[in-house]
Amino acid sequence: MSIEIVEPGMLTSVQDPSGRGAWRHLGVPVGGAADPWNARLANRLAGNDDDTALLEMTVAGPTLRFRQPARVAITGRLDASLDGVPFAANAARDVRAGALLRVGNGAGARGYLAIGGGVNVEPVLGSASTDLRTGFGGFEGRALRSGDRLEIGTRSSSGAHRWTGSWPAGPIRVVPGPHADQFSPDALTGAAWRVGVEADRTGVRLDGAAPPSDALEVASMALVLGAIQVPPDRRPIMMLADRPVTGGYPVPAVVIGADIGRVAQLRAGDQVRFASVSIEEARSALRRAESELAALEALDGPRDDELGWAGSHR
Amino acid sequence: MIRPFGEAAILVEVGEPERAQGLAASLRGEPPAGVTGAVPGRASVLVEFGPDLVGDLDDAVMTRLDALTAWAPPGRLRRIPVLYGGAHGADLADVAEMAGISEAEVVARHTSVELRVLFDGFAPGFAYLGGLPDALDVPRLATPRTRTPAGSVALADGMSGVYPAELPGGWRVIGRTPISLFDPHRPMPAYLEPGDRVRFDPIAAADWSRFAGPPGDW
Repeated sequence: MSIEIVEPGMLTSVQDPSGRGAWRHLGVPVGGAADPWNARLANRLAGNDDDTALLEMTVAGPTLRFRQPARVAITGRLDASLDGVPFAANAARDVRAGALLRVGNGAGARGYLAIGGGVNVEPVLGSASTDLRTGFGGFEGRALRSGDRLEIGTRSSSGAHRWTGSWPAGPIRVVPGPHADQFSPDALTGAAWRVGVEADRTGVRLDGAAPPSDALEVASMALVLGAIQVPPDRRPIMMLADRPVTGGYPVPAVVIGADIGRVAQLRAGDQVRFASVSIEEARSALRRAESELAALEALDGPRDDELGWAGSHR
Repeated sequence: MIRPFGEAAILVEVGEPERAQGLAASLRGEPPAGVTGAVPGRASVLVEFGPDLVGDLDDAVMTRLDALTAWAPPGRLRRIPVLYGGAHGADLADVAEMAGISEAEVVARHTSVELRVLFDGFAPGFAYLGGLPDALDVPRLATPRTRTPAGSVALADGMSGVYPAELPGGWRVIGRTPISLFDPHRPMPAYLEPGDRVRFDPIAAADWSRFAGPPGDW
């Protein structure tokens, strides 16, 4: 049994929240969900383990037909409807076989669709994530297309949930990067920025007042998630899940872990401001984000027999 | 020198690729408590850690670095067949002009030396090769290509490299190999690993199909 991709939207792919970090010494990018917070939340709501495979949907979402009953949760910033009725984000729901789920535009760049029991794909190099650039992992190593049928798991045993937490707002918080002593993060925090058209799973490029020219030679080094690279054209790039393992541009600052998901939700034209915080504040923000992620409330859903659950799916 | 790299990582600058590989391999093999990743670059190691880190990571890393004996890379010799020039080496003429030598001489020099994989990065299985003759030290393209074909053999910044897949890229392409270099379904997914020795062998167009696919000694 499966779900069918009726229409794939702008870019829908199979990802998991953690990606494959263990192969970076051979040049393999980490990958995984661009907004790992919302991906983990979707899994928790659907009753899955955090790192279960799910669908990442981009800007204009897909239309999907369920060919079996399933427990479903949508998180992130895309709006959705189920059989023509608005489908609330951040709460799990049981859907019947034959249901049509349409995911449209919304207030941000990405949404996540978790299905109880997960999307069944063969892990490659330790992850279900799709490496879209090299073309492996996920579903046939590529973005989903019309007519694809994805095998999904049977419903998980743990209960459905609704999320009652909140995400941070305000400027994107940064801590000093490895080259902050030669290239001050003030160049970033002291200016207003706008997201350029090059905003994808690799990174988000910014337009704005160029930071002071620093002809800084940097030997290629491995990059953390959130590293803000400044190439010679002086348009900063905030690096996300599909960033190359190594980069050779100076890094004056790094987006804190708690704000990575917010960067992944930015769309071309969005305004961006940065604020410097201390390492301690960054760690405290990360603990806070973890606890917000755990703000779940159990849902008493309709009984299975009302939804046509058959014994074979249990 | 150790530099902070976000709230959950440090960048350890060690000076040379062999030490970076050695330190990263040591930290991956026996990670100190709380260390979640150790990734080598050209002359540095990114060390990532989680909230359960105990003790002083800088001290632990420096101790590990001091104890590091010379890194013993596998040092396998990898031979890469290359069809140079023409449609497969769009930048060969420019490289020859920059080097002030003929195209044939560029090929002769590129195939005359044994190179070494300094580190892998940029893309899965992309190996940065050091040990080029000085004449072949050319800058990157001013405007990178949006698509460089899989197998492209290229030069930039004093190094050589081979594109394992079709990728965007700013290196100068002088030829193309028919062999494959990355397969995520193999236990050792990259044909070229750090420390490997590499020699390029010129081939004729007629030999292309004979070499196509995964090399026999992968």
